[in-house]
Amino acid sequence: MKQKLLILTCCVLGVLSLGAKKQGVIKIGCVGPITGDQASLGLDQLHALQIAVDEANAQGEIIPGHRLEIVSLDDQHNPSQAVAMAKRLASDPQVVAVVGHVNSSCSLAAAPIYQNARLTQISPSSSNPEISRKGYDTFFRTCATDDIQAPQAAYFAFTRLEARKVFIIDDKTTYGKGIADEFEQEILRLGAGVLGHEGIMQADKDFSPLLTKIKALEPDLIFFGGMYPEGALLVRQAKALGFNVKWMGGDGIYVKAFIDLAKEDAEGVYCTFIGADVSSMAGAKHYIETYTTRFGQERGPYSAYAYDAANIIIDATRKTGKLDRQAILAQVKATKDFPGIVGVTNFDAKGDSTIGLIGVFRVKNQAFEYVGSAK
Amino acid sequence: MNPFETFIQQLINGLTIGMIYALIALGYTMVYGIIQLINFAHGEIFITGAFFALAVFGLFPHTPQFNSVLALVLAFGAAMAGCGFLGVVIERIAYRPLRKAPRLACLITAIGVSFILQNVLMLIWGPVDKSFPAFFKHSALTFGSLRVTFMQGFIIITSLVMMIALRFFVTRTMLGKALRAASADMTAARLMGINVDKVISICFLIGSALGGAGGVMYGMYYNTISFHDGYLVGIKAFTAAVLGGIGNVPGAMLGGIALGMLEGLGAGYLSSAWKNVFAFLILVILLLCWPSGILRKSRNE
Repeated sequence: MKQKLLILTCCVLGVLSLGAKKQGVIKIGCVGPITGDQASLGLDQLHALQIAVDEANAQGEIIPGHRLEIVSLDDQHNPSQAVAMAKRLASDPQVVAVVGHVNSSCSLAAAPIYQNARLTQISPSSSNPEISRKGYDTFFRTCATDDIQAPQAAYFAFTRLEARKVFIIDDKTTYGKGIADEFEQEILRLGAGVLGHEGIMQADKDFSPLLTKIKALEPDLIFFGGMYPEGALLVRQAKALGFNVKWMGGDGIYVKAFIDLAKEDAEGVYCTFIGADVSSMAGAKHYIETYTTRFGQERGPYSAYAYDAANIIIDATRKTGKLDRQAILAQVKATKDFPGIVGVTNFDAKGDSTIGLIGVFRVKNQAFEYVGSAK
Repeated sequence: MNPFETFIQQLINGLTIGMIYALIALGYTMVYGIIQLINFAHGEIFITGAFFALAVFGLFPHTPQFNSVLALVLAFGAAMAGCGFLGVVIERIAYRPLRKAPRLACLITAIGVSFILQNVLMLIWGPVDKSFPAFFKHSALTFGSLRVTFMQGFIIITSLVMMIALRFFVTRTMLGKALRAASADMTAARLMGINVDKVISICFLIGSALGGAGGVMYGMYYNTISFHDGYLVGIKAFTAAVLGGIGNVPGAMLGGIALGMLEGLGAGYLSSAWKNVFAFLILVILLLCWPSGILRKSRNE
């Protein structure tokens, strides 16, 4: 009997000591579309975060007794789903900050929830200017905004591509319509004519009725505010109609998948991006190599921005030294000259990155070729 | 391009997608005609056909000259056989046990099967849009500034051939006669010695095979397919079937073509942002005027 009691005591003690040794976790949320037609963007954001978190964990405990973990959620680029996922993150006390969302419409919908939960949100790619104008003090972004991107795209189209008769198409989303409207305003101001501005539906596949109509108007450039699945179909179907016209898009089509889907019809398409050519930046070399070897694929356009967003959060958490959302938020807000791989990041009063560089790319030989900065 | 040519071009574009709608609508209408079930899984069967074809294309080396006739024939064969089999299996395990149950139970089962198929597609082929090989480049026949691409011609002709073959089967063969008999009065057909279960299976086989062929053409036309494409196209094809008078085979063909063209004209002349709204608005208006569709189901004595 005594022996049995001894064994039992040992077991209990053993379990207790195991429990005591167990590390605490600090969680960083990661939300974006990881299924569906825009899955490549969400997965790319997640991959960047995985690299940043693993690097931080390898350097030792971020706060004594704690290591970092990722909570990856899927918003399916659907604003109502984004709200549900944001609520889930907000209710988990171990989550200290969020990288995401990818799409502007989702960031816009989820921002009030993070605001109430005092949860820092840094988006690598939601570029619609409205989000930061709403005054959420928990919202930050590492990318530039469309009110910088679209006017510069218009400037480039007008001066370098000599576009004088323009047709504008958008996908009626927060991002797509936002960038298309800003583009229209600026190109009109510069003196070009706008032949029309039409919306399309996301997830529609047949744009030939619209393109047939545009073909008859004979524009010299079509600007598309939207994402790559529709963008790829648009350029393909235009070619099928024998309609040769210059195409320009925003960062929504600056994705390798755009070229994969549009194939040879993507050649010569111009697009702007809310940043420069990351692959030419010296600081990003190591990151790009790590990404390629670890995931066996090329990184997507915002991956470097997501990586910087993650590191800003990790850095702030480390400086704070405790699991405290409010303190981490204050620390992120106070970020000064953060040396990231896309440049030196500072946030203005609205939470927007002050880098604000817009690059122009053109598809050549089935790859995006850096043309230069838009201005 | 003058306004008249633009109009004709819009009709050609609409006719192409209309033909695909028509092929899928046949599956809805045949099944409804015989067991009064709206087979909501049919949209998913259609896109499964495109994925079967994609699997076949994957077996061929990816060369620029992808216009291999063999690949094309095999892809259509695999899609039609695979989807036909799938349709028969679904009928056997999901609908036949409910033959005597209230009709609503069958309808809900159909919706359930549709969800299951969609998720299985996602599990097998992944959530990301799949690029579908391109055929014929963008080669086209041109008449002035009008263009009919080889792809459009291929879709229109292939669909027509399939529809004519179906018409021949339904009106000229013994099995077709049995099918019409079962559709007119199932009990009487059974009393006349017709194996009604077999007839229903054949109905699912043919409808699903046509849907699968429609899926391959859909993939070839748009060059991208995704696991959730079956839903919207399925609903449109269902609309086409209702438009033509559900249960009526020529009606489904006409309904598909009409829907494709009206949708194209609406998107081209009014607003492309409201394309789907037009499709369904047309349905509402037509149903208000002709509640049983363009061609009402004929019941020959």
